[in-house]
Amino acid sequence: MTEDPVWSNIFKRNKVQEENIFSVLKRLPIFQDLSYKELKAIERILHRRTYKADEVIFKEYEPGVGMYIIESGKVNITLGKENKLLVLLSTGDFFGEMALILEGQRTASASATEPTKLLGFFQPDLFNLLETSPKTGNKILQRLAQMIAERLRLGTIENRQLKTRMNQMKSKLDELKDK
Amino acid sequence: MESSIGKVFKYLTILALIIASLWLVVLLKFIIALIVVSAVIAYILDPIASYMEAHGLSRMQATLLIFFSLGLTIALLFYLLVPSLLIELNFLQEGIGGSQASELINKLEQTIHKTIPVLSGQDLNLYEKLQGSLQNLAQSFFTIIVDIVSVLSTSIIIPFAVFFILKDGRKMKKNLVSVIPNKYFEMFLNLVHKVDLQLGGYLRGQFLDSLIIGLLAIIALWILGIKYFVLIGIFAGLANMIPYVGPLSGMVMAVSVVFLNNGSGQEIAWVLVAFAIIQLIDNVLVQPLVLARSVNLHPLIIIFAIIIGGEFFGIIGMLIAIPVTGILKVLSIEIYQSIKRFNLI
Repeated sequence: MTEDPVWSNIFKRNKVQEENIFSVLKRLPIFQDLSYKELKAIERILHRRTYKADEVIFKEYEPGVGMYIIESGKVNITLGKENKLLVLLSTGDFFGEMALILEGQRTASASATEPTKLLGFFQPDLFNLLETSPKTGNKILQRLAQMIAERLRLGTIENRQLKTRMNQMKSKLDELKDK
Repeated sequence: MESSIGKVFKYLTILALIIASLWLVVLLKFIIALIVVSAVIAYILDPIASYMEAHGLSRMQATLLIFFSLGLTIALLFYLLVPSLLIELNFLQEGIGGSQASELINKLEQTIHKTIPVLSGQDLNLYEKLQGSLQNLAQSFFTIIVDIVSVLSTSIIIPFAVFFILKDGRKMKKNLVSVIPNKYFEMFLNLVHKVDLQLGGYLRGQFLDSLIIGLLAIIALWILGIKYFVLIGIFAGLANMIPYVGPLSGMVMAVSVVFLNNGSGQEIAWVLVAFAIIQLIDNVLVQPLVLARSVNLHPLIIIFAIIIGGEFFGIIGMLIAIPVTGILKVLSIEIYQSIKRFNLI
């Protein structure tokens, strides 16, 4: 199975053992350029949320305004009515960062599979950050743009592969018809 | 599953809590009003603090800096304006009772009867009305200024509250958001942000607009040598928040003061010209710059809001009617849209 370029954490690095919030934040691609002081400021504005097992974090088609970082626990990302499992995320992963840039509908649902602690980072927080400490905000924005570009690149490659496969299928089908 | 008795008990507890908190609100009306005023002031000042933060100050330093400069400004204003204000108020309370004034008002009443036939059947009682309203105004100003106890507590509590709300407002907001259940949390956060954008622009714009107009009016009337110029200027600035009625009422007040002090027609003309120029400056320069993000209210709604505000809270009600209506409009639109988007209805 190829990984879903939007929802799986294609930016995951090797796990660090000590799991305090700073190491979690430092491992995130969008925060990787930040100094310790800046991370501390970020940590102050993040929203800490606790979820019970099986609790819904957000549903597909709901408007989303930001991203979640998993501080501890596991989160299922599922698609559609039949809850097709896209990916299972765990500590240090993040999801929903597209909504930071583009306010729009969530393209999948997320729910906690066990007691989970999440850190929320949302559009209003990002805007505030850009207003009060533009340097920090811009570092984050740049990383966000890179991530989205990377996802787009992967999506394009996948798209191209699918097209070639479709054409192969088509020609096979035509051969069968000719017979 | 909860048992039904447990549910009833839960709802009763919630109801009792609501009633208790309402009772508390009534009891602590004064304090709550102070806190609300402080919150609004802090809210208006917030972008200044953010701007300083962006330029390298910490929030604490930014807050302190704003405070010192504000304190200086207010002290200066007090030093310059309060003595003349008190004298003006004293004059006002005595000056209205003069016999010349009553004659003039009677004349005015006759002219109105002649020129507007619709009103000719009615006794306008202009004199009593004018006297009553001016006395009320003076009285309310007096109670605000002279009531030492409330002045002391206000002048201590408000700065104190403003300071901390300005410094820790973001933390407070975050704590408020943190108690919202997971299901509504993201929606609530977004709602607060949207309302903040619209309301912030609106309130700051109104405040700045009033301040500029008030200052212009004070300066213009001072140049013209009109009595009570500080009082009328303050009134004109405040009244400017009321569309249509406001700018006119400031002018009417100035003209009537000149009138009551046996001013010449020339003086009245100058006052009219001054106010016309101020209005022009307001409409052409200040409002387009300051009220760029204002809340559009239909003229009918504005009129009704002013009437309702006046009905319930008098002059103060008229002043706050439009901002409050604006707030309600923004809130209701945003809440409705959020609820709709999150498929809660």
